[in-house]
Amino acid sequence: MMSAPLDRRRAVGVMLAAGAAVFASFLQPAHAADDVVVGVIQPLSGPNAQFGIGAQRGTELAAEMINAAGGIKSLGGAKIKLVAADVPTPNTAAATTQRLISQNGVSAVVGAFVSSTTLAASEVTERAGIPLVTFAFADQITGRGYQYVFQVSPKGTVFGAAQFDYATGIAKAAGEKIDKIAILYEDTAYGTAQAKGLRDAAKKAGVEIVLDEAYPLGITDVSPLVNKLRASGAQMAFPVSYLNDSLLIIRALRQQQIDIPVIGGAAGYIIPDFKKGLGDYAEGVLSVAAASGDLIPDLAAKYKEKYGAFITHEALIHAAALDAVAQAMEKAKSSDPQKVRDALASLDYCAGFARGVPGGCIKFDANGLNASAFPVMVQWRGEEPVTVYPPKAAKQVPIWRGKPVN
Amino acid sequence: MRQLFSPGRVVLLLFFVAAAVLPLVVDPRGHLLRVAAMVLLFAAMAQSWNIVGGLANQISLGHAAFFGLGAYTSTLLFLKLGVSPWIGMFAGAVVAGVAAALLSIPTFRLKGHYFALATLAFAEVMRVIANSWAGLTGGPVGLSIPFMGTQPAYFAFRAVSSYYWAILGLLVFVCIVFQLLARGAIGYRLRAVRENENAAEVAGVDTFRVKLTASIISAGLTAMCGTVFAQFTFFFDPDSIFSLAGISVRMAMIAIVGGLGTLGGPIIGALFLIPLEEVANAYLSSKAAGLSQLVFGLILIAAILIQPRGIMAFWPKKRRAARAARSSVAPAQAAAKGA
Repeated sequence: MMSAPLDRRRAVGVMLAAGAAVFASFLQPAHAADDVVVGVIQPLSGPNAQFGIGAQRGTELAAEMINAAGGIKSLGGAKIKLVAADVPTPNTAAATTQRLISQNGVSAVVGAFVSSTTLAASEVTERAGIPLVTFAFADQITGRGYQYVFQVSPKGTVFGAAQFDYATGIAKAAGEKIDKIAILYEDTAYGTAQAKGLRDAAKKAGVEIVLDEAYPLGITDVSPLVNKLRASGAQMAFPVSYLNDSLLIIRALRQQQIDIPVIGGAAGYIIPDFKKGLGDYAEGVLSVAAASGDLIPDLAAKYKEKYGAFITHEALIHAAALDAVAQAMEKAKSSDPQKVRDALASLDYCAGFARGVPGGCIKFDANGLNASAFPVMVQWRGEEPVTVYPPKAAKQVPIWRGKPVN
Repeated sequence: MRQLFSPGRVVLLLFFVAAAVLPLVVDPRGHLLRVAAMVLLFAAMAQSWNIVGGLANQISLGHAAFFGLGAYTSTLLFLKLGVSPWIGMFAGAVVAGVAAALLSIPTFRLKGHYFALATLAFAEVMRVIANSWAGLTGGPVGLSIPFMGTQPAYFAFRAVSSYYWAILGLLVFVCIVFQLLARGAIGYRLRAVRENENAAEVAGVDTFRVKLTASIISAGLTAMCGTVFAQFTFFFDPDSIFSLAGISVRMAMIAIVGGLGTLGGPIIGALFLIPLEEVANAYLSSKAAGLSQLVFGLILIAAILIQPRGIMAFWPKKRRAARAARSSVAPAQAAAKGA
């Protein structure tokens, strides 16, 4: 073997070194013993990154505030240490969640915004007996009888129904009777689930759906959709979209001067990028939301100060989720996942970020759903959306076709 | 004559022995074992792809279609009819084989990029169907494998190590099939197709039939990997199981980075890429959004620039050259076999 080519020996050496480095990296100590570790899984890259980053900031702020206030007091002031992981797709969720559990020894996992990713992660946490607290709102998440998954916000179909009921409620208050509506939705899990809620609510109310169109998430030309909408004679449009598609739809509507009220389905309609992308076209757009910063002005101001943008509902709800986990540890006097889970199941928490969840509390039912939470309707006013409906939560009156509704 | 215990075979055998005992020495519930299982699974997928992509150089970017068909067939058979996924795995292989045969009729007349694009489109079509035919597939929400504790008859285990050994078994099976095909008459015919399809046709090779056979076998094995993947990750949805970047391209990439058309290539490729991606994710994804993919992508580009023929090309050139010299008939074939 004297004459073996040098490049081969070098290559083998490099490969061995790389392999050793990989192996060694798995053996590193996970964390300091006195901290409590909570895993945060969010899509930090890929098409849902805007939402994931916002959500992660929410948990960061909540952890910072808890630590600044003395950590988990019943555990001798233990600090919360967050371990963040990127889960851009459901395929990566199982392995990543497993890593947080076995490498980092997390007491609980918060996150995953995207429903399908959360479903995938919950299959791992359920088997490992680790509580997962989430904002993702697919109905299946708490519909499987699982013991370790907790949903802070209402279910997807509830959102769809609220999107319809609230909008018709505002229209009625403004003296307009709604007979014809249009539904446009992106065709993945989120859009289809919420569209179903909308459709069922409209049928129940006896309102005719004159346009019911799915479109692919990566849509680049919405003019055929908008033309159909114009021709349909709908009095209101309900688009359920992520960000880019929401920008395209609203811009096309405004440019073609279609002035029918538009009621977005959360996600893309209520993040800072919506205003950035649309400027004045954003003004007056309504959307359903799981929470709104103006329900907790003090905490919302802290968030804005730290990150330079208003607190989105995904940031707020994930902050509330982390708050709930911390409260559960406080109550359980333990960071043992099983005890944290039991404490979460019997939690009744109405302070901190939980005040920002409409309903004001986090209290999970037997399925792990936060039963007291309800969606709100927000409307863009200048730089931020404000809560306008239902009246019990509203901070300002809604504006319908340019006129305030009292 | 070829030795029974050539260095290549010894290394491969050692690898499989090491792989088999790994669960005994690491934390059986740990993440390391899970990553190792993914390495073996992606090696098996890339090896399945290698049958068509490597031996015949028909670069398919749509193998996710077969992968997803396998996952959907076994999972739906289980959820709707209670059929064990072990049986569903073979049912999935049959479904994928039929799909491959149907797809072959129009696409095998296409060459190079056009073939790649056609296969890519096929996987996209499957994704759209799975998303829209909610009555059958559960639609965009995806399917969950119900949690049922340890039930070996239903391919359900608590311990990661049980899945790990099942995946290892699958990899060994796929490697044996690959080797039998590569060493058999069909392997020579496929390589003849790769070198020059017209010349092969003139020489009497029924090119259509040989490519058809290879793609049916390749699709069937890929579908079996799909079933195992579904059982192992407990959940999939149309966008992830029919994913272009996550499945189709990755299968091809692993085989290409490791060494196209070689037995060891997909294994080395998976050993290199999957842990690299995991480590990038584990250490960089909390630092800055998207940084882990950026680093992973850069390393990948570097790997391909340094050795475009794959990591297997670092294997001793001397022996290959010697064998090529011995084999006066077809040096190209010998070079391909050298690994």
